[in-house]
Amino acid sequence: MKRPTYLIIFIFVTIMGLAIAQVSTANQISTTGAELGALQQQVDDYKRQNTILQEQLLEASSLTNIAGTAAQLGFVDAKTQISLTAPVPLALKQ
Amino acid sequence: MNWRYRFVLLFFIFLFLSVTVRLFYWQVVRAQELAELGQAQYGRVVRLNPTRGEIMTSDGYAIAANKLSYLAFANPKEVKNIGEEATLLTSLLGTDTASVGALLSLDKYWVPLKSHVSRQDKEKIEAAKIPGVGFQEQYIRFYPEASTGAKLLGFVGKDENGADKGYFGLEGYYDRQLRGKEGLAVQIHDAFGQPILAKMNDAVGKVDGRNLILHVDRTIQFLLDRDLKEGVDLYGAASGMAVVMDPKTGGILAMSSFPNFDPRDYQNYSDDLYRNPLITDTYEPGSTFKPLVMASAIDAGLVKADTKCSICAGPVTIGDYQIHTWNDKYSANESMTDVIVHSDNTGMVFAGRKLGLDRMLSYFEKFGIGDTTGIDLQGEEEASIRSRDSWYPIDVATATFGQGITVTPIELLTAFSAIANEGKRMEPHVVAAVETPEGERIEIPPKELSQPISPKAAKVMTEMMVTAVNNGEAKFARLKGYRIAGKTGTAQIPVAGHYDPTKTIASFVGFAPADDPKFLMLVVIERPTSSIYGAETAAPIFFRVAKNILMYYGIPPSE
Repeated sequence: MKRPTYLIIFIFVTIMGLAIAQVSTANQISTTGAELGALQQQVDDYKRQNTILQEQLLEASSLTNIAGTAAQLGFVDAKTQISLTAPVPLALKQ
Repeated sequence: MNWRYRFVLLFFIFLFLSVTVRLFYWQVVRAQELAELGQAQYGRVVRLNPTRGEIMTSDGYAIAANKLSYLAFANPKEVKNIGEEATLLTSLLGTDTASVGALLSLDKYWVPLKSHVSRQDKEKIEAAKIPGVGFQEQYIRFYPEASTGAKLLGFVGKDENGADKGYFGLEGYYDRQLRGKEGLAVQIHDAFGQPILAKMNDAVGKVDGRNLILHVDRTIQFLLDRDLKEGVDLYGAASGMAVVMDPKTGGILAMSSFPNFDPRDYQNYSDDLYRNPLITDTYEPGSTFKPLVMASAIDAGLVKADTKCSICAGPVTIGDYQIHTWNDKYSANESMTDVIVHSDNTGMVFAGRKLGLDRMLSYFEKFGIGDTTGIDLQGEEEASIRSRDSWYPIDVATATFGQGITVTPIELLTAFSAIANEGKRMEPHVVAAVETPEGERIEIPPKELSQPISPKAAKVMTEMMVTAVNNGEAKFARLKGYRIAGKTGTAQIPVAGHYDPTKTIASFVGFAPADDPKFLMLVVIERPTSSIYGAETAAPIFFRVAKNILMYYGIPPSE
């Protein structure tokens, strides 16, 4: 008679343990959806900011914009150019 | 009893089979439909639009990128005062009150108000706190250099289903590469609408577009655009176009034409402005064609640089026609170099006669005349040449100096790449590499189309063109100290069956430095009014751009 009692107790404890584990796990992951949503939102925000920053960077570094700003500041194109070339030898060996 | 037993047995067997058949029906035949119905209860299918690939110049600058914008929408059920809100939205969105008012009066939960709303406008509307108005993110094409290289790039419009589609230029030619593939995802939610961890997103099929990395140099493109526009205005021309190529690889370094359009605002321009005349328009090249015929005669061993012209003492008569020089000045026994330097039509007839029709047509074919170049831009036209049987002596004569024969500017430039590149004609190409979303770079190698002339003939022709720059009609505009090979062209435009002497297409083609060319450039100016000659219009533009490119490349004068 003792063996069935132990078995029943063992099964009962196992069932209870698993039930508690299930409740505990369910409780733990119940908020992960919200956390995931927040993380996804954060990723989207970073992506959005990245796109906006890239757009601003491209606009600021466009040659059209730089040339316009340079002209406003009074810069003009170089009319002459000076080239530094290799020096001519003083005496050529004939 | 026996029959009752059998009846019950058969009844249960029938029942069992019925259940099996029914289960088969639901679980196999209609399984997909039921799965979708079930999925619809706990999730929804979301369309994932791929990000369109960027187009980058050789320095990695995104000349065509994607910009964040918004679709403004409203829930008419939440709108309290339609008139007031419509007026406010109209002022903020820049639309008309009647259409906004009509949309807000609809018996719907969602109506689109305006797409492509800028971030600044969105912030203004949000600050106004209008009930029932919301925003949805969307991406639009963004061209930070505005209209620079617009005809090279093309633009992004919509197809018949309202999806983004590239038209003209690179956006059109590489649309499939740039647009990527739309994907579908199932977003599963809990009862409160929060996404569930275990079944997040089953994204299927979404592939972002590939990036294009161009041969185009942003600085050269900017300089070419600026100087060409100034030139077209200065010389009172109807239009102008120019293209710069690396003759050794065929890589297009810059391409420009005016009048132009702004790809950000393409709807407000005439359709005629969308096409790129450098690849679509055919014209009679005039004297810029002469080096090709002369190079052919040299390559065939029929003439040399110092061969004397025996028919150049006066006009040449062919049937009922007379061939004159452009200035009606003649020089007996001039050399072939002088023929190119003075752009002498009679001397070209001499070279053409030496060559003969069959050999000339054979060289034309090798130079790619009458064929497309295969450039990777949408809309290249073929400037076909007449068949062998329909060439008359006068046609052969005029073709030697580029009249009565048509080419596209890119076709002529590609033919000249053979002279600049030791006789090898390269395929013009705008895109240098394609970059996958995973970052893999697929290089597009240079392609040799043909070798129409020998390296030796190319060298002789180059020297003749250098002499033409230094001593020809455009010598006043040349860059002192640099060895530049070039040739002017002034072609009359055929109007109603005859040539109008007052309307010309002025052009200049050349490359520099002549001994180790870094670039090959063609400038074409249509109907200039300040002067009809290429030497006085296209040549100065060429040398202005050439000077800037040489300075940009840090190439010092060699003489």
